[in-house]
Amino acid sequence: MTKQKAMLIDIKRCIGCLSCETACKQLHGFGTDPEPTLSDTAFTVVETRGGTFVRKVCMHCNDPACASACPVGAIGKTAMGPVVYNADKCIGCRYCMLACPYQVPRYQWTKLAPFVKKCDMCADRIEAGKSTACAEACPVEATIFGDRDSLIAEAWSRIRGDSSYVPRIYGLEELGGGSVLFVSDVPFEKLGFKPAPTGNQPMPTLTASALGDSPKVVIMGGTILSALYWVTQRRHEVALAEAEEKATINRSKGKRS
Amino acid sequence: MIARIKSEITLWRVIVAIIFVTGLYATYIRFFEGFRASTNLSDQMPWGLWVGLGTLCGIGLSAAGFGISAAVYLLGMERYRPILRASILISFLGYLTVMVGYLYEIGLPWRFWHPIVMWNHRSMLFDVCICIMTYTTVLTFEFAPAVIEKLPWKAFRETVLRYHHKILIGVVLAGVLLSSMHQSYLGGLFLIARGKIHPLWYSQYMHALFYLSAIPAGLALTVMAIYLSMRSLNVRVDFSILSDCGRMIQMLLIVYAFFKFLDLVSNQALGYAFQRTSEAGYFWLEVLLFLAIPIFLLSYDFVRSNPERLYWTSAIVVAGFMVDRLNVSINSLQTAMGTHYVPKWTELASSVLVIAAGVIAFRYAVIYLDILPKMTVKPATRWISNAGVPAQA
Ligand code: SF4
Ligand code: SF4
Repeated sequence: MTKQKAMLIDIKRCIGCLSCETACKQLHGFGTDPEPTLSDTAFTVVETRGGTFVRKVCMHCNDPACASACPVGAIGKTAMGPVVYNADKCIGCRYCMLACPYQVPRYQWTKLAPFVKKCDMCADRIEAGKSTACAEACPVEATIFGDRDSLIAEAWSRIRGDSSYVPRIYGLEELGGGSVLFVSDVPFEKLGFKPAPTGNQPMPTLTASALGDSPKVVIMGGTILSALYWVTQRRHEVALAEAEEKATINRSKGKRS
Repeated sequence: MIARIKSEITLWRVIVAIIFVTGLYATYIRFFEGFRASTNLSDQMPWGLWVGLGTLCGIGLSAAGFGISAAVYLLGMERYRPILRASILISFLGYLTVMVGYLYEIGLPWRFWHPIVMWNHRSMLFDVCICIMTYTTVLTFEFAPAVIEKLPWKAFRETVLRYHHKILIGVVLAGVLLSSMHQSYLGGLFLIARGKIHPLWYSQYMHALFYLSAIPAGLALTVMAIYLSMRSLNVRVDFSILSDCGRMIQMLLIVYAFFKFLDLVSNQALGYAFQRTSEAGYFWLEVLLFLAIPIFLLSYDFVRSNPERLYWTSAIVVAGFMVDRLNVSINSLQTAMGTHYVPKWTELASSVLVIAAGVIAFRYAVIYLDILPKMTVKPATRWISNAGVPAQA
């Protein structure tokens, strides 16, 4: 079995040099002008929140909301960890954008044949045994790439070795966890990390319960409706038979008199 | 008099012409210049008016077809048979407009067929797509006799209609189940957007609430359409049927109001309604138009038994329903997404074009097919009920 890969982003170490952002843009041939937020030409950005540098990037969820939402299954999680997008299937409904709890997927609004754009954790590169472009570019190891297990161990050892860290790895369990992990010396709530809408439950459970009920509802509804139809028909028949009976009685009465 | 009628006709013609010209121009911009030029959609508001008005309102307001066919075919409520075909026609056309709208909505419209062959059964939207396609087929089947009976080939007509009749009940049953599924799945689409949707609308039972609210709204639209046909086309329906529809709408609205209230209380979201936010404002607008005013008005006999008053009350129901769906799909998201979305004129113009095409198709179907009972003798008053008592008009 392939080991799941991951990225660890250390907010305390980040110096805001934008090397990751630039490396990503260069890899995809997007020019090098920095952008304020994620866009269809910026799959990762470094935002400044109260003097702290916070990298924004797809969390590569273990049970991704975007993948569960996509009607044609254009998004999927690979065994190595990346959540990848298959442009050949996509119909451009943008439901993945509505579903993603981190508002990551972006759309090519200006194109006539627009596609969804988001970080794919350099799926091709890591398949070939390389590291992600951003992790490779980071001069201070604020973003590192490796096996998810060993990165979790590394994160805990950084937290244990330095009491200024918040004792929490964001992305380990939130919404079922993912392949991008954050550690920080500033509480995550202050950095724009919103409380996870479903705690540690993956987002797709929200839809699953409603969808899971529907076979029951359909079978029950179908039975009830058929029963009602049967009753209606029966009543109809009874009414017809009664009318006929009456008619026969009347006729025989008529004969007798 | 004649001059007045003439001027009226030209006014309507002018309006229709404007709708078509602007709508077609907007369509051109959508397909040849793209989303940026034709919409105000953004990464923060990936769904807008097309989904909110076109799909959510379109499907919701087409709910009467399955409601009335269940009542007549399955429950034996023969009383509603005269308006059965009209309600099926409304649903049929409603679903067609949604299908056309779907081509505007998706970014790669030439791939519209992908959901048929690429399945993701975990996706609400996939289920919505499949249900809508299947149900449109069902509606085509249910509506087909109205066209087939007008065909000139007698033998063909009779064979087809005989087989049609044999499987009709099964198809109706399937249609009712399919409708129930996707009417609620449309609400289910938003379940996964927890944390983005304002608490006044988010609930783990959104799908059930969508289902409950669609039926009265669909009935209200049917009442409106039949009223307008009776007023301007040569058809006549026993008005007391529409009156009863009014009563039914009221009942269904009360049921919906009850569950919506219960839901708000159990989610501890009621407090949000009394904050000074724009969401609270939109919420009260919805409560007023969709629930408070119609429930109040429809409890009076002088509203229910008067065609004009019943029509306008139904119009309020339909408007309130649209506010509800736009609240869920647009207004409830703006704060969390940090954006302010106002649709571009092109979004509105293309939606109106599609709706107008549906209305015109309805009109000609009523004129040329046997949708509603035709008026054979000219009665003293158009609004006569079966008992022979003229409704108080
Ligand atoms: S962060 Fe969003 S886009 Fe990335 S995998 Fe998770 S749900 Fe999908
Ligand atoms: S926009 Fe494409 S990838 Fe996203 S949900 Fe729709 S079909 Fe799937």
